[in-house]
Amino acid sequence: MRRSQIAMRRRQFLQGIGVCMALPALESLQSAKLFAVDSPALATTASGAPLRTAFVYFPNGAIPSAWWPSAGGDSDAKAYAMSQTLKPLESHRNSIQVLKGLDNLSANGGPDGGGDHARGNGTFLTGVRLKKSASDIQAGVSIDQIIAKSIGEKTRFASLELTCDSKRQTSGCDSGYSCAYQYNISWSSATTPMSPESNPRSVFERLFGAGNPGDRNEGLARRRNEQKSILDFVLEDARSMQRRLAVTDRDKLAQYLDGIREIEKRIEKAERFGAATDPAIETPAGVPDTYEKYVQLTYDLLFLAFQTDSTRVASLLLAHDGSNRSFDHIGIVEGHHDLTHHQNKADQIKKVEEIDLWYVRMFSGFLDKLAGAQDMDGKSLLHNSMIVYGSGNADGNRHTHSDLPIVLAGNAGGTLTPGRFVDHRSKPLTNLYLSMAERMGVHDLNRFGDSTERLSNL
Amino acid sequence: MFDHRSLLRKYLLRIGMLFVELFSCLNGSLFADESIEFERHVRPILEQNCYGCHAKGEKSGNIALDEFDGDVKQSQVLWHKVLHQLRSKSMPPLGEEGPTEEQRTLAMSWIKSEVFRHDSKRPDPGIVTVRRLNRIEYRNSIRDLLGVDYDTNSNFPSDDTGYGFDNIADVLTISPLLLEKYISAAKEIVSKAVPVVSGVAPHRTLPGGKFSKEIIADLLNNPDATTVPKDEPVGNRFGRPTQGPPKEDPAKLTMSYKVPSIGKLTTNVLIAGKYKVIVNMVAAEQYVDNVFDYNRCKMVFRFDDELLVEREFVRQGNESMSMHFDMDLQAGDHDLVFEVTPLTPEQAQVRYLRVIVENVKLVGPIGDAHLVPPPNYDRYFPRPVPRSSSERRAYAAELLRQFATNAYRRPVEDEAVERLVSLAESVYGTGKETFESGVSQAMTAILASPRFLFREEATIRDSDGTHPWLDDYSIACRLSYFLWSTMPDQELFQLAARGELRENLDKQVDRMINDPRSSAFFQNFVGQWLQSREVETVSIDAFAVARRESEARPVSDPEADRKRARRFELRNKTESELTDAEKLEKAELDKLANFRPGGFGRPFGPAFDDKIKRAMRAETEMLFQHILKNNLPLTQLIDANYTFLNEDLAKFYDIPKLETIQGNEMRLVSLPEGSLRGGILTQGTFLAVTSNPNRTSPVKRGLFILENVLGSPVSAPPPNIPSLEDAAVKKDGKKQSLRETLAIHRENAVCSSCHNKMDPLGLAFENFNAIGRFREKEFGEAVDVAGTLSSGETFARVADLKKALVTNHQQEIYYCMADKMMTYALGRGLDFRDNYALDEIVQRIEQSGGKARALLDGVVHSTQFLKRRNADDVADTSGSK
Repeated sequence: MRRSQIAMRRRQFLQGIGVCMALPALESLQSAKLFAVDSPALATTASGAPLRTAFVYFPNGAIPSAWWPSAGGDSDAKAYAMSQTLKPLESHRNSIQVLKGLDNLSANGGPDGGGDHARGNGTFLTGVRLKKSASDIQAGVSIDQIIAKSIGEKTRFASLELTCDSKRQTSGCDSGYSCAYQYNISWSSATTPMSPESNPRSVFERLFGAGNPGDRNEGLARRRNEQKSILDFVLEDARSMQRRLAVTDRDKLAQYLDGIREIEKRIEKAERFGAATDPAIETPAGVPDTYEKYVQLTYDLLFLAFQTDSTRVASLLLAHDGSNRSFDHIGIVEGHHDLTHHQNKADQIKKVEEIDLWYVRMFSGFLDKLAGAQDMDGKSLLHNSMIVYGSGNADGNRHTHSDLPIVLAGNAGGTLTPGRFVDHRSKPLTNLYLSMAERMGVHDLNRFGDSTERLSNL
Repeated sequence: MFDHRSLLRKYLLRIGMLFVELFSCLNGSLFADESIEFERHVRPILEQNCYGCHAKGEKSGNIALDEFDGDVKQSQVLWHKVLHQLRSKSMPPLGEEGPTEEQRTLAMSWIKSEVFRHDSKRPDPGIVTVRRLNRIEYRNSIRDLLGVDYDTNSNFPSDDTGYGFDNIADVLTISPLLLEKYISAAKEIVSKAVPVVSGVAPHRTLPGGKFSKEIIADLLNNPDATTVPKDEPVGNRFGRPTQGPPKEDPAKLTMSYKVPSIGKLTTNVLIAGKYKVIVNMVAAEQYVDNVFDYNRCKMVFRFDDELLVEREFVRQGNESMSMHFDMDLQAGDHDLVFEVTPLTPEQAQVRYLRVIVENVKLVGPIGDAHLVPPPNYDRYFPRPVPRSSSERRAYAAELLRQFATNAYRRPVEDEAVERLVSLAESVYGTGKETFESGVSQAMTAILASPRFLFREEATIRDSDGTHPWLDDYSIACRLSYFLWSTMPDQELFQLAARGELRENLDKQVDRMINDPRSSAFFQNFVGQWLQSREVETVSIDAFAVARRESEARPVSDPEADRKRARRFELRNKTESELTDAEKLEKAELDKLANFRPGGFGRPFGPAFDDKIKRAMRAETEMLFQHILKNNLPLTQLIDANYTFLNEDLAKFYDIPKLETIQGNEMRLVSLPEGSLRGGILTQGTFLAVTSNPNRTSPVKRGLFILENVLGSPVSAPPPNIPSLEDAAVKKDGKKQSLRETLAIHRENAVCSSCHNKMDPLGLAFENFNAIGRFREKEFGEAVDVAGTLSSGETFARVADLKKALVTNHQQEIYYCMADKMMTYALGRGLDFRDNYALDEIVQRIEQSGGKARALLDGVVHSTQFLKRRNADDVADTSGSK
């Protein structure tokens, strides 16, 4: 007579996700292997498991005195005392490296003057100086995109770009720099930022399809076919339009055409990969009502993308540099950015330290999930990952870009030696990226941004 | 040597476009006969007035005039800056002798004619890159095209902005992600609007509000149950009172977790058969920071005697639910009953937990015999679908041609229609899908096409060798996206089709400005230029602001510092590291930290909440709207003896004699004699968006005025210096006031050149706190607002400053407004090549006595707005930024 269907539950998404999900990644991993056409070492560990990398950006630097552990002058210390700000990472002590002495000099002002937030943010993953302009954007290609271009074929999504900044400023970004620099860390070309997705629901639906658990794959397949006929039509429209347009306008259409090609490739790829792993959980409802839940949920989605091997490269902009968010939930009503200009006042410094600590605590929660999930080779996902957690400003008070606060989490499948606090003594941050790219299987990359060589002793 | 004064007079004589052209020709010939030479005429002026700081090794503001080697092409940007300084007389600085009027005019003439090489016979319209619709324009265009409101704010990534606006072509990029979103948006929008079948099962919506609600007194033997429970909601952690109980929506059935109640409705079913019953409801709560609500209730839903739902609810965080049931229904009356039983009478009510039934839908009877046309069918399919395939093709072509023409905002060629029909046919031709789905699939493709997403423009070539005019369809789009942020309407479209738009420009602008759609112009142009759009998202702790006015300046409190440090220390330990004693201590300290001194029970003044912020935003937009629609002097934007208020805002501003204003509606209000308010600079929007989360920022206020009112932005501060205002020196345990701190820093030469301009402007508004309320004191001391502008005028009160701005700086204000409006209208930043157009607009304004319509008309009639640079001209970007 009647049957009650599932009431849409929009809330309790991903509660204890690491525990409740059976790991469905294995099947797709194997199928992924079948399609791996080139070097088997691409984004793969020695044991054959996927190797993943993520770049997590926190805004406005960190109070150096609270951030840096002490090791009594030892530049490569195993037995170091965890610092105040990094304390939440104590439980992951053996899976992380605290990296000191990494600089991003392309974020320094030089002749361009003010704008350290735009630069700290916009150069963090590129190591290339930004063109100071409100509209004529010129940045560099970011390391995650370089890696994605090489290994993107291995997974359903070449890369994933996330943010927890749901609202972007509409005018008056940093000192004459376009807002694009400040709200993007990931760049597929010098002029094309990879706009990060801020709505957890959209992220989830892009990864796994819309609808209830079980129905999502059918929906994805139907969507692909419809998209193909639409793409054919708009491609022709774009070509005819391009013939009519002035030279300067053709660049705009070129962006559009690139987008079409990108989607076509994605559709082809999706067809090759067969059905996506449908996580047997509810779709998240949207942007959560508190920042804490928002950050947690976004980390959860990143975790889920890695666990299902939907992608192996990701970037997460927790908040843009210069973010002036207040942290009412930990009793801080002043804006974060304003506080970082603390004038060495103890109370302001403390507040910034609390914010820094809060961000680290959230990151630690993400590592908990990665450490708790088993990969196909029996190791943890964290073991088979390389996660950079850092900021493009070192001391937010003085806008310095040397000695950036950087933590590298994970063992990269056993090719890293974590459990240490290492001072690299003034090397470009991009050297680290070169070494990471190499581990991801991008062997032909010998220079990146302002790099000088690969970072050794990792 | 000719008389430059007579030249100036000739400039002033210009009236309207025609005259401008005419006199420009005359000017041109004058210059041809006796041109101004740099070495002979201009250099001596610069040597006398500028070289002191800008030559011979001196390089103030990074400008060295003696580096100019005669190559005007390479130095256009430099001379553009010089022109600006000359025009606004802001160089040389106060106290140093500047050039005479004659010298100024001469130097400016040289820059315009010799450096910019403006050719008045062939004015350059500049390059407008093809523009992508931004989120607002997309949303509005979809609304006008299909009647669907698609929430682009949450579905599309934010648009990047340039020059302060979000409609700048160069930064409106399109990423693969965005394109993917456009395609799925197109699909979603079409599926919402366009039916894909010719018949659907009838469906009836029973709104929750139609249920009769009854409160059951003795259900739990609880004598209080009929009244609203007595538990007052507690304040949040900052001691702020929370809102009262939420208002009930009369269209819905609202049942509190705390009150036993029943909602009943009897409905009649005419035809027996299979039905689907759909219950749409929300388990709602009102969010209170950090305090939870442990109430539970049981809800049952009965359909006649059948129990369809029996469920316990805890706090569900506004979870919405849609429950579906398949039922066989007999003809006749049916009873629908919702019943809520509280399970936790002892729990305090914090978040007003409640079950809200939005509606119950009855879909059916299900079966082919009962189908009815879906809603909106006629709008997209005016005739029944023909049978034969050739007739179907013709029908599809007719429908799609019309839709594509509207969506592309210009007629489409047959070839494109042909492709659309093929696409539709590929769907319905298989026999598996309906004709309607085929057509809607093609419509989806249209909405994903670059010809919808971008505004393609076409030109009409004139034989006179000037740059070509835009065709009327392009002008229709420029007008409609400029003044309405949406596609052209039928009238514009028809005028364009007849080629009569350009000759009816003024009439159309009149009509458009008086059309309700022009609210988009005020929201988007004014909202971004004056940043009033930002006020709704500005984050200011009104509590912290109020404290600064109510207390003496805080002195250091070692005991509080110690506690704070101790708390921080404890918070950094993990739970397991804490001893029991420490846990207690931590809880105590947390409590102390959360109840900030003076926090409880202190009168707080009206809240700086969303309602106030919306009213503030409206105040700014309405002022500009009022001035433009009534063609009033533009300077009233700065200095007016009236404003727009509603009851809340009048109370918030605390204006004497205006406490009597009642109601939510914003209205024109004459300000009492001597009121400080009036004009944008004393409105909540400006005062709040330029403030920090806990205090005013005179520097940001000064900067805002320089950038957005006077049009002379200062350069960014040098790197690695602390924010001036925060660098307060401790004296006797007291902080210095902002004014004192700023004064110290103005003594520093590096800081002073800009801060001398910014600070006096900003400090003049210290009578208004960070949320725009009037104050006389900060930290117990009277605020001092008097000052001297960098141009020399002294003022004692903000009213004097406003007067000084509108009398002595009128022309700068006009230039600034023309620049901003032109930037918004064209979707591109302006450069030196556009200087002549700003000159023309400002002359037009001045000749009209400073009227607002002259500004708008000047923009709309400009070469920049109506023409495009000849495609054959080499893209000349030399010397641009």
